[in-house]
Amino acid sequence: MSEAINVLSPNRVISKQTLRWLVGFQLLLLFFIWVFSPTVFLPKPSEVFQALREMWMAGLGGELITSFYLNLQAIAISTVLSLLLAYLTVIPFFRPFVMLLSKLRFLSMVGLTFFFTLMATTGHELKLYLLVFSVSVFFVTGMAEVVAAIPKESFDLARTLRMGEWRVVYEVVVLGQADKAFEMLRQNAAMGWMMLTMVEGISRSEGGVGAMLLNQNKHFHLSAVFAIQLTILLLGLGQDYAIGLLRKVFCPYASLTLERK
Amino acid sequence: MATCTYGKTLLKIEDVSLEYDGRPILKHVSAEIRDIIRPDCVQGQVVGFLGPSGIGKTQLFRIIAGLNKPTSGRVTVNGQDLPVQAGQVGVVAQDYPLFEHRTVMSNLLLAAGQKEKDAKVAHDKVVQYLNDFALLDKARLYPVQLSGGQRQRCAIIQQILCSDHFLLMDEPFSGLDLLMLEKTTELIQKVANRDELNTIIVVTHDITAAAAVADHLWLMGRDQDATGNPLPGSHIVETYDLVERDLCWHPGIITHPRFLDFVREVKERFRSL
Repeated sequence: MSEAINVLSPNRVISKQTLRWLVGFQLLLLFFIWVFSPTVFLPKPSEVFQALREMWMAGLGGELITSFYLNLQAIAISTVLSLLLAYLTVIPFFRPFVMLLSKLRFLSMVGLTFFFTLMATTGHELKLYLLVFSVSVFFVTGMAEVVAAIPKESFDLARTLRMGEWRVVYEVVVLGQADKAFEMLRQNAAMGWMMLTMVEGISRSEGGVGAMLLNQNKHFHLSAVFAIQLTILLLGLGQDYAIGLLRKVFCPYASLTLERK
Repeated sequence: MATCTYGKTLLKIEDVSLEYDGRPILKHVSAEIRDIIRPDCVQGQVVGFLGPSGIGKTQLFRIIAGLNKPTSGRVTVNGQDLPVQAGQVGVVAQDYPLFEHRTVMSNLLLAAGQKEKDAKVAHDKVVQYLNDFALLDKARLYPVQLSGGQRQRCAIIQQILCSDHFLLMDEPFSGLDLLMLEKTTELIQKVANRDELNTIIVVTHDITAAAAVADHLWLMGRDQDATGNPLPGSHIVETYDLVERDLCWHPGIITHPRFLDFVREVKERFRSL
């Protein structure tokens, strides 16, 4: 009874078992709504699974690999670039540049296509540039904020331990904020999947799930659209879990003080 | 009266002034700490650094630690000719900062390794400190998993391992109950008396606690004009020698009438600042 009250009260900690029950219940409820929804625009689960089988036969697996590889490449490049730029904000010279870069997140990807087309030699390169740019402008903004928010006391602690300023940066900014960098990576990697479909729509030379999704959407094959979305969702969840696991392994201290572990 | 003599100057503040935007914060601050030598015992030095809020204690604290440069004057340690550098004087801030991404052992090894290049020697030294300060079983924990007292001890060890016998402690008595206050006082004495050259400066508002732990007290304040208004720029207005007054190194001194009279005297001076 008390656990039932906890579930509906603010700031209460619930047991793992209760959480599992809650997740199961809400998934079931969602499935129920899906099955019995009267709207014709929401395909039934059986239709979606049928479409999924057909799409799989039509090469969804291969398209997924193409997209996954593109996204992985983009995430890797964006992570290196963004972290490097964010860490460089410790040097005043780079701050205006990073600030300017961060403002570019308001620009539309479509408007940048022409510029990146001139730079790229292949379709894959064009997509990669577009994705790296789109993810990096958000990643670098978030991470630069993390670096700027480090309290003075942390730098002082490192200095009182006879560390030179580069060592201070490594200890306080790089190692000390590693848990937050993983969290940023997790959010931006998810954003990569969101942008992927747009990018693959701009250049369809290699295919990919994005191009496949746009094709199905164009012909109003809603079951197929849902099937692809479901596949992307599952892949994204796996990726999210993997990055979370890495964070747990490399930064076990990060969740020690949380109320909700 | 406890017999002692004074040896070499360990820390010297020479005519330190500090200005921000032309506004004087510190004005001609001068003080020194000398090695106290007592026969047949290892005696470190403890200075209580008192002053009202906003008087510039933190600014002087940072200058002594080598974290800030004064506008003029300098602080030197161990008779060196060069001004103090960050790292020579350990700093234990009020919230006992430690690297949260490292375990207790890793925090201490990092500090020890900064001064001792032989990894084996550094490791042995850390283990000895952990043992002496009852933290050995906490070596694998992260700082957030420590209690307040354990964290305080860990922060002190970290700074002692790396500094040149000097330790600045910012408000170590703040928010402590009576039992913890006694424990902290004992801890400060214990750390000070581990080495003849160990020197601890305790910055605090707590006059009684400072007098109980220190051998000298510095009182920081501002001069006043003829109408009683404070003039800009603080300095050390009073220095109390507790050795001379025979008020230190006696167990249970805090209940002695002479000690209570002394605390009253300091409090009255404090109020006049």
